[in-house]
Order: sequence, then C-alpha cells, then structure tokens
Amino acid sequence: MLKRRNWLKLVIGVTSFFLLTSCGTEPKQLERLGLITAIGFDLKKENQIKGTVAVSKFDPMAKVMTNVISADANTLQTLRAEENLATDQRLEMGQLRCVIYSEELAEKGIIQLVNALNRDPTVGNMVYLTIAEKDAFSIISMDEKKIKVNIGTYLYNLIRQNVERELLISPTLHEFNHKFFDYGQDPVLPILKVKKDKVAISGVALFNDDKMVATLNNDKLFYLKLLTDEYRTGSKELEFNRDEFKNIMNIQGGQSYGEIYNKLFISIDNLRSHSKIDLVNKKNLVFKVQVKMDSRLLETTNYLDLSKPANMKFIEKKINKEMESQIKKLLLFFQEKQVDPIGIGNEYMAHVRGKPISQNKWKELYKNAKFDVQVKNTLTKTGTMD
Amino acid sequence: MKVNLHPKEGLLFNAFMLAFIINSVQVGVGLAGLPRVVYLEAKHDAWISVFLAGIIVSVVLVFMIQMLKQYDSADLYGIHVDIFGKWAGHSLNVLYMIYMTSTFFIILMNYVEIVQVWIFPTLPTWQLSLVLILLVIYAVYGGIRVVVGVAFLSVVGTIWLAVVIFVPLQYGDFTHLFPIMNANAKQLLMGAHSTTLSMLGFEIIMFVYPFVKEKQKAMFFVQMGNLVTTIIFTFATLISIVFFASNSLEKTIWPVLSMFKIVRLPNLERFEFIAVSFWMLIILPNMCFYLWAASKGFSRILRRKQKWGVWIIAIAAFAGSFFIKSRYQMNTMTDMVAKLGFYFAFCYPVLLAMIVFIKKWYKRRESKHAETS
Repeated sequence: MLKRRNWLKLVIGVTSFFLLTSCGTEPKQLERLGLITAIGFDLKKENQIKGTVAVSKFDPMAKVMTNVISADANTLQTLRAEENLATDQRLEMGQLRCVIYSEELAEKGIIQLVNALNRDPTVGNMVYLTIAEKDAFSIISMDEKKIKVNIGTYLYNLIRQNVERELLISPTLHEFNHKFFDYGQDPVLPILKVKKDKVAISGVALFNDDKMVATLNNDKLFYLKLLTDEYRTGSKELEFNRDEFKNIMNIQGGQSYGEIYNKLFISIDNLRSHSKIDLVNKKNLVFKVQVKMDSRLLETTNYLDLSKPANMKFIEKKINKEMESQIKKLLLFFQEKQVDPIGIGNEYMAHVRGKPISQNKWKELYKNAKFDVQVKNTLTKTGTMD
Repeated sequence: MKVNLHPKEGLLFNAFMLAFIINSVQVGVGLAGLPRVVYLEAKHDAWISVFLAGIIVSVVLVFMIQMLKQYDSADLYGIHVDIFGKWAGHSLNVLYMIYMTSTFFIILMNYVEIVQVWIFPTLPTWQLSLVLILLVIYAVYGGIRVVVGVAFLSVVGTIWLAVVIFVPLQYGDFTHLFPIMNANAKQLLMGAHSTTLSMLGFEIIMFVYPFVKEKQKAMFFVQMGNLVTTIIFTFATLISIVFFASNSLEKTIWPVLSMFKIVRLPNLERFEFIAVSFWMLIILPNMCFYLWAASKGFSRILRRKQKWGVWIIAIAAFAGSFFIKSRYQMNTMTDMVAKLGFYFAFCYPVLLAMIVFIKKWYKRRESKHAETS
C-alpha cells in the first residue's frame, strides 16, 4: 500500500498533468489558421473604414498562397470579425508584419487604429506601420505572381532591408508609439507607392500628433536620418556650382572631362556620424545643431585633384557649407509645418526644470525656435584613387 | 509557547542562502508593474525613488536583524509573545498571518491575471490558481529546506532575464532622464512609497531566522540579497523611462513585460511569452515563503501540525480566487495589500525593534542592579 505522503504526490501529479495539458485553451492547428501578414486601412466614407487583410495559408495543396479579404466597419475588432466570416480559416494576428494606412486616413488621424494594435497582446511590437500614397487596398491586393512572395512578407522585407541599409528611419509600432506619446517628438512613417506592379517607397510622411501633415522626398531623408540617428552607412549626392571648383580641377594635358553636366556633383558615402542638439539659449530658444561625420568621397562628376591636402580641406569646407544650409532649410520646413521628427522638444524639456510643459505649449514655443547648424565633415578616404 | 525555536540540526540551512531568499522573495509579481507605479509619482526621477526605497529597505533590515539578535533563536511569533504577553502577542501573530495570507493571494491573482492577458485570454482563473497552489503546497510540504531550494533555483534560473532587460536600451531616448532631480523630495518619497509592493518580502527574514545555521553572518547576506534586488529594480525602472514615452509609460500596466516585446531571437518572434512563462519561476518562491511563514503560525500558536495551516490557507486563497474578476477589483485589492505591507513590513518591525531594544536594555540594567546589590 502506498503511504499517505506518496498518495498526495500522485494526486497532485495526476491533476497537474490533466490541468496543464488542457488548460482551458483551444488548440490552434496550423493548417486551419489564416495568418494575417498585412492589414490595410482605407477611409470608405465618413464613419466607416475599409480594412483589407492579406492572409497566408499553410495548406501545401493550395496553389494560391495568399487570400485577400476586405470588409467595412468602424473598429478593428469588428473588421476582424467581419473578415473572419468571409473565410474558412481562423484569422490570427500573431504574424502581422505590416500595417498600411491610406493617406486620406492618415491626414485625419490614425491613433485609434494604432492603439487597437497596442492593446492586443498578440500583436508584436516590431510591426511596421506605413502610409499608402493612394489607397491601401490596391497595395494589399497586388498580383502576387509578380512579386513572387506573400505581400506581407514582401513589404516587411522591403522596409527591413532599407532600414538596415539606413536609407529609412525604422517605422515599427514601438517607434511610432514612442514618438507619438512623447510630447517633444513626432512620428515619421514611410510612404508606399505602387510602381509598375511593384511596391516602392516614395518618401516619408511627417506627423503632427497622429495626423499626417507633410511629406518628405527620399533625397531629403538623408538629412533627417542624419539628425535623428547615428549613421553607419548611407550616401548623399551634393550639388555645386562648377566654377567654384575651378582651381582644384585636375586637367591633365589639356584633356577635359565630364562635360555632361554644367554643374558639379559630389557623392559622399557616410562612414559614421554623430549629431547633437543642444539648447544654448533658453530664453531665446536657440538650438545648436552639431553634426560630426566621417565620410568617404566616392564620385565626382569632374576630375578633381585630390592629392593635395589643401584641396581636400577646400572640398570639406564646401560640403560642410552645403549641408549646413540644407539642414537649416529642413529644420525651417519642419518648423513651418509644426512637426518635430527630430525630437527638439525632448531636448528642450530635458533642460527645463519644474513642471513639464504641455504639448500645446511646446508647439507654441517651437514656432519661435532658432537653429544654429554646424556640420563638421571629414573626408577620411577617397576610395582607391587620389 | 516557547519564545525561542530550536529546530533540529538537519533543518538548518547555510547563511549565504539568505541572499537568495531575500532576493527571490522581493523580486516578484510587483516588478512587472514597478516602473509605472513609481513613474506616476516621481516622473522621470522614478529610478532615484526606487534606489531610495532600496536604501530604506536595507535600513529596515538592519533593525530587523538587530532585533532578532537580541534573542537566541526566535522568530517574530515568539518575539510578539515575549514582548506583549500571550493574548496581545497572539492577536498580533494572527494579524501577521492574515497579512501574509493576503499577500500570498495577491501574488497568485496578479500572476494569473498576467497569464490571462498575455497568453491565454480564455483560461479560467481557477485552473491556473489550482495548479499553482498545489505546486506551492507540494514545496511547503517538503519543509523549509525545500522552500529555500526553490528560492535558490528561482534566482539561478531567472537571473538571465535581468540581462535581457538591457536589450531595449538600444531603443531608448536618454533625453527622458533629464533634468535629473527634477522631482521634489515629497515626490521622491511618494515614489519610494509606491515601490512597497515590489520591495515586499524581506520581512520573511523574521520567520526564517531560527533556521539559519551561522546567525552571525545573517546581516551580510541579507544586505547582499537586498542590494541585488535594488540594482535590478533601479535598472528596470531606468530602462523603462528611456524606453517608453512619458504618456505610454503611464498607461502601460506591465512595462517590464511590454519591454520584452522588443526582444527578438532567431526562430522566436515573441520573447514576452517566454518571459511571462518564466515569471512563474520568479513568483514561486514568493508564494512558497508566504505560505510557509503563515502556516508556521498554526504550529506556533495553536500547536497543531503545520500542514493543517497549509491546507486552510490554500483553500481560502483558492476560494478567494473566484471572487476577483475585473481589473479594477484587482487594483483595489493590490493597493490594499500594498498599504498593509507598508505598515507590516516597513513601519511596524522598526517600532517593534525599538521596543525590544528598550526591554532588553531595561532587563540588563535590572540584572546588573541585582548583581551589585
């Protein structure tokens, strides 16, 4: 006979075994699940949102891998319920990779839809949020035979590889939340565009609170990225008047080079950069923006003599000046549009003691902010040639 | 009943285990929500508050150990009887048992809630609480040495989570920390006060003390345990502040778990599931120690077997789990226990220590008088 003590162990063991295996949750078989990989939101009409999901199937027999379902509703949860009614699979959000909001919707504000994602514990924090240039539906329902993979995966890879190449500011749900909920910073999301049966990134959308108020083209993105993150790669083409460089142009034996353009373009490749924003004058709100970067000169449209240190210094100076003016222009543009993607507000609040100021108060102050931009660019290398 | 408790040699454990005990009992369900509750009071200086609270705990621990040293080998139950006499002492003991039972209950309920929100939304409360309670009973049945073993395993098995918490740091914005010391003294103290729920647990030392082998080393290891806790808590708070925006930290219920969402491993997209599951290992020693200490009261006061106490408390906690349904009930319950804990673990032991010092001092003087006269 078992001793009482052993009986207890047996009872506990058996009960735990049964309880833990069932545990009151329904099993989720992979074949029966429809994994939502991308969601698109469009504004259908007033008070109604059209949601489109790309669903990835796990059925090896099925030829079509992705299923596009669209429904109309007011909240995300109802949308999901409606979409669930339109399919034989159980829709799950756990593998969501990319969310697209139409531009029209973004201009009216998207925080309701973003918060629905925040509240849902099945949605990860690294989901990418994007803006569609026209409508989200046409992106999600793209012909998959042309892009070869599931649209959700395609968008995810599209954004991820550009973020990794540092051509784009990372637009994850976490980063959006962080910048949105911070008083002194505004979010930035990439804009997607359908281009000949492919989706491409055409620029970034700048937000004031949760409303999209302006866009920035790809060529300006470099400067925004320079100010917000520490760069490790990334390249930039700069435009100059050719006359200014006349003295250092290398003309060998009367040969002339590069007459395609009447201007001089210099392309630099960033190796590392470090930017610092400091509030130097609290009263007059003067911010000192300092950018230090090491870069490598990769291409010039005219043959420049790079062997002399003085020439290099000259080019550096020119580049610094050009960048300073570009950055300043960008900052004034942000100020005019009342957006703050760089986090100048955070910098201000970090220097002011006492009660934290409200968002509205900061936006008032932001209008009067002045910027003093300094760029210090060092050309460390010139590729394999002088 | 006897004031001093002299357990058998085989039941004693080494003093260095106290570091693990204190650390594992402090780190618990409170940590998941700690940064937010402190942030609500002290804003971006919350980490200073947490550090301050750690120092306060270490001072309280000095009082506790000094008080215990006045006796040969007593626990709080014995000291109460020694100081206040049989009736008053026993009523205080019962109060302490009620407090520890409710802490046990709150830890259980909070963890079940976390599991329900993060992993299994449809899981009925009673199922998980039954499994957990049975597990804890099993551990407590093994006696104090098994419970200490659970504490040791818990620390060793989960300390790596403290390293993972540094991953979110790369997404942080350090401007959030400035200006440092913007909160005034009152805000800092209020912040320190709201760490109570997380810091709780160190009062267990007053119950396990008789079982420590080298009692003269107790102070050092207790302080070490608290130091590790303080460091973990301070960093968790600091990282939460730089990681979350002000508004979202105020709204996130479990910032530490939410931060784990950002961690990504190859082949494992959602690290927080691992973290939430491992959290069970973190709370297990808390529950074991509270159940053990509370049920110990039965054997000390009523001179019954401890296992009766174990079953009574366990059944009471299990029954109680049916009554709590919504988030706001949880909140009021948790706040209440935190308040109780503030008096039972922080204020009262210091007061009691004072009384013990005075009594002992008085006695010594009397005996000296008796010798000289």
